Amino acid sequence: MTECPECAASVESTDKILGEVFACPDCGTELEVLATEPFAVQPAPKEAEDWGE
Amino acid sequence: MSDGFRLGLFYTIVRPEEKAILGAAESRGLAVVRIDDAEVTFGLEAPSVRADVVLNRSVSHTRSLYATRCFAHYGIPTVNAPDVVEVAGDKILASLRLAERGVPTPRTEIALSPEAALKAVERIGYPAVLKPAVGSWGRLMAKVRSPEEAEQIVEHKTALGAPIHSVFYVQEFVPKPDRDLRVFVVGDRAIAAMARRSADWRTNAARGASTEPLPLSGELEGLALRAAAAMGGGVLAVDLMEGPNGLVVHEVNPTPEFKALHAATGVDIAGAIVEYTAGVGRR
Repeated sequence: MTECPECAASVESTDKILGEVFACPDCGTELEVLATEPFAVQPAPKEAEDWGE
Repeated sequence: MSDGFRLGLFYTIVRPEEKAILGAAESRGLAVVRIDDAEVTFGLEAPSVRADVVLNRSVSHTRSLYATRCFAHYGIPTVNAPDVVEVAGDKILASLRLAERGVPTPRTEIALSPEAALKAVERIGYPAVLKPAVGSWGRLMAKVRSPEEAEQIVEHKTALGAPIHSVFYVQEFVPKPDRDLRVFVVGDRAIAAMARRSADWRTNAARGASTEPLPLSGELEGLALRAAAAMGGGVLAVDLMEGPNGLVVHEVNPTPEFKALHAATGVDIAGAIVEYTAGVGRR
């Protein structure tokens, strides 16, 4: 468990893998898993203009 | 058990698609080397990456373009191949290729200055659609309904500054049902298809369109395979519209998302991608 860097809500590490992007369950901010042991997250990279499929 | 074979996963972020790919590789006993597109560097001589094949899942067209060339420089095959990334990832090059191969595609004009763009819109007629050459998820797309709107949109795009924003891709607006179609192609097989329905004229799943599975019929499957082959083949999602004169291909995506397609169809898309990629690496 760690804290969302945006809203400080508790964020669970269950089933998360390194680099995984997920939404904070409280504020919806996109977070990226920085490390799994100990569990750490950071805001996910911002979408750039050349991003796509 | 791994036999020493290493599948490289080149990525920007780990979304449900990349997580599914990692899971599919693990369940097949394949060793995966993760290559973060924001961290890797490429030297000109000694390979800085050790992999037998690289699956490109970077969401950045620019990074994909150069990285696949670097992997090729080391003799490491990529899925998709550099030429496929270059052509399919650029709407202008993709449209030229589709037309060259006789794949039906919406009427399109390319203009290289704001003045020429306004002429191109007039030639296409109203409504027309202005799209950026690179990028997706419906960003910076505009439906143009009048000369006044065309002038405003062209002026705004030009004001964005980068030279690429003064290259204009103008396409006819295809009057279609409130849905478009997606066919997922892996190698020489179409493995799944869905319809995306939306009240918005942009039916991207990323924009919240609802999805439903589609049977792979003769015309749909055949056209998707032709479009994928025109790009050079590999792992490609072919987007089609049902126009008044039949199906048209409007986009072929070289780094496709598939979460929505998997949910709609239940097809193991991640597994098919991993098996195809491993096959390319073992050739």
